[in-house]
Amino acid sequence: MTQLLLFNITNGLIIGAFYVLMAIGLSLILNLSNVINFAHGGFLVVGGYIAYTLEPYLGFWGALIVSPFLTAIIGLAVEKTLISRVYGRDPLYSLLLTFGLAFILEDGTRVIWGANGKPFTIPAALAQPLSNQFFFITSYRLFMVAVVAVTIVLLFLLLRYTRAGVRIRAGTLDLETVSALGVNVRALRSLNFAVGIFLAGLSGVLAAGQLGLEPTMGAGLLMPSFIAIIVGGVGSLTGTLVGGLLIGVASGVTAVFFPAASEAIMYVLMAVVLLVRPRGLFGEEGMLT
Amino acid sequence: MKQLLKLEPRRKVAALAAIWAALMAAPFWMPLLGGYTALGTRVLVLGLAAMSVNFLLGFTGVLSFGHAAWFGIGAYGCGMILKYIALSTPLGILAGTLAGGIAGAVLGALIVRRRGVYFAMVTIAFGQVFYYIAFQWSSVTGGDDGLRPFYRQPLHLGVATLDILNNAVAFYYFVLVCFALAVAAMAFILRSPFGRTMLAIRENERRARFLGIPVELHIWIAFTLSCFFMAYAGSLYALVNNFADPRGLHYSQSGDFVMMAVMGGMRSFWGPLLGAVVFVVFQDYVSSITINWQIFIGFLFVLVVLFFPRGILGAIRRTVVAS
Amino acid sequence: MSLLQVKNVSKHFGSLVAVNNISMTVEPGELRAIIGPNGAGKTTFFNLITGFFTPNTGRIIFDGRDVTDLLPARRVWCGIARTFQVTEVFPELTVRENLRISVEVASGMRLRAWLSQTDDDKIRARVRELIEMGGLAGKADRQVGELSHGDQRATEIMMALALKPRLLLLDEPTAGMGDQETYEITQLIRRLHRDGKLTIVLIEHDMRVVFHLADRIMVLDQGKFLAEGTPPEIAANKAVQTAYLGQAA
Repeated sequence: MTQLLLFNITNGLIIGAFYVLMAIGLSLILNLSNVINFAHGGFLVVGGYIAYTLEPYLGFWGALIVSPFLTAIIGLAVEKTLISRVYGRDPLYSLLLTFGLAFILEDGTRVIWGANGKPFTIPAALAQPLSNQFFFITSYRLFMVAVVAVTIVLLFLLLRYTRAGVRIRAGTLDLETVSALGVNVRALRSLNFAVGIFLAGLSGVLAAGQLGLEPTMGAGLLMPSFIAIIVGGVGSLTGTLVGGLLIGVASGVTAVFFPAASEAIMYVLMAVVLLVRPRGLFGEEGMLT
Repeated sequence: MKQLLKLEPRRKVAALAAIWAALMAAPFWMPLLGGYTALGTRVLVLGLAAMSVNFLLGFTGVLSFGHAAWFGIGAYGCGMILKYIALSTPLGILAGTLAGGIAGAVLGALIVRRRGVYFAMVTIAFGQVFYYIAFQWSSVTGGDDGLRPFYRQPLHLGVATLDILNNAVAFYYFVLVCFALAVAAMAFILRSPFGRTMLAIRENERRARFLGIPVELHIWIAFTLSCFFMAYAGSLYALVNNFADPRGLHYSQSGDFVMMAVMGGMRSFWGPLLGAVVFVVFQDYVSSITINWQIFIGFLFVLVVLFFPRGILGAIRRTVVAS
Repeated sequence: MSLLQVKNVSKHFGSLVAVNNISMTVEPGELRAIIGPNGAGKTTFFNLITGFFTPNTGRIIFDGRDVTDLLPARRVWCGIARTFQVTEVFPELTVRENLRISVEVASGMRLRAWLSQTDDDKIRARVRELIEMGGLAGKADRQVGELSHGDQRATEIMMALALKPRLLLLDEPTAGMGDQETYEITQLIRRLHRDGKLTIVLIEHDMRVVFHLADRIMVLDQGKFLAEGTPPEIAANKAVQTAYLGQAA
């Protein structure tokens, strides 16, 4: 029983870390541009498939590094040509636009790479279980958590110590003032979007290593990311981080006692948080609401 | 109120007459255009759903992206009555409508203080709860396969029995009557003092509040009414298909409804019905020519957002005003 | 008894103290002007009275009732109506519809799904009356968003008036208007005050308007109380002169 519980908590943390990576990207875009990117899952899939295509030439490590950048470039192109046109309009339009993009990305993937699932090979070293006692933790899963941790730390450092990062954070709080100070908000949003999509691409590669590839894999990860953001509080990246881990662990623990509800528990958690703290755990008065 | 259709009164009456005449004659003219009666019935029900979404979106200015949940609960509620409890079509509709409407009212109370993007997100996420329930609780809901078998039952009207199960045309008229009742109720509410407070909130929430309108209460009422209409449409949809589909509760279905409303023209009363006609026919067509039809739906979304944000009726109205 | 008593209210946003320990008493039938340089806290002070914000400290007593913790809509029901610095109307509705909504809300019919013919007639008559009073007769069926700034402002004031308030708060009613429009709005306010016996508090930058209309003037500077008195007293007040000259220099 303890073994099982431990397994599921660890599992929950690993899944949670994964939600975090996806949700932080969504959160970045939502905070600065007030756009809910429904196509985030689509970009995740694209990232995974690009890695799949590159892997024979660059190997796993090359694909892991190059694919997110390529995904980010695609994201940047989409932002420049389409999404930037709905900034400042009723959120309805960005929702519908990214909703349509999600369809296009998912079906586009199907057209290019086929509807059937694809395996994605990871280096043998990463496929081993950690030890006999902790057979359930493969090195790959630890590796995933490490990548997520490093990426998040890097992201927070960038946001704190680089000029663009500081501007993004300032823009989240008060875009008008940032704009009045002469910052090119348009370019800032493009950069920010690209960073968000980079994270989606990275999530895609990591997910591919764990689960293999399928055109629909992104859509299923979208909802947990939404919930992570809502639980953590819209407008707060720290909140998203905590929210993602929390729902991961919650669904992991629930899987021990009541497997059928392991997904439902996230929604219960969200309802409870909204009842007790309507703005989410880290949400503050006046943030985007 | 001219707001509903900004045309001269006489033209407005003419337009209304034309709409109802077209709907009443549909079983006769649709086959000539290559349509079939069942398609007409489906459009009518989905159009009603889109109008219900727009009751909230277009007239209160509140964007729910999770309305498929209430639609789906209506469908399951109606289906379960027919499958497990009583072979009665009216009872099924009543139960479905109440189930979805009450569920919506409860959730609405929880989220009514949120606005804009946040509101949309929370409605999506909560809407998914019901999708998971329908998907997971197989023993009752049929899980992934959906709820079946059940059949809509003939209507006993005292003097006569109307066989809406086997007679597609009779069923179309039955749905048309149900549609007319709901649409009349919506129009009635929108022309009432309460309906005008909805417009006030859409136009300027701050002003509404400082006129003494308790905005949260009014949004909650509008949300709840919209959920009841939605669940009612969902119950009818269960009858159309003799089947309730978990995908009918999914957020992508909500997106389709919002799209129908926007594409037709969300500032006009009838716009969403037009949107539903175009959307359903388009979907019907592309899905018959390719398996990757979703990509076309995706492009449709992008095109509408970029080029027809005011919808078909909005674009027509602008041209009329300009000329 | 005084109609409005504001007792030592303060409001801060983080470390910024927007309103610092201000009191004010307004008598029934009075027209009070609040003036002060930019950033004096005038609008925040208004927002505290109308419930847009709750004060951090202090109480607000309206007609003998403590309204400090009431929500905005409830304060409106008590009889406090306001207009905003940037005109707040229902832009895509007509003047008539804007006023009709206000009248219906004021008549306690906001939740009604149905109106009797008598009620409907009464409401229409009242709306017509307000249209006349606001000088909007020729424009009643046009969308408010299409009208001139002055007409939008007049609509907004009439909407507030439809509520039959006992206290009307006007936040810079002539802001951004030309001479003709300023004159018309000033005349309108004057009529409401003289003929309608309405108690009015207004924030205004245009000193011609202030000295023309006000019974008493309160001056704020940087969130603090500076002076209060009749227009001649304020005109002669050294501290006020310094505050304004200081800003001009």
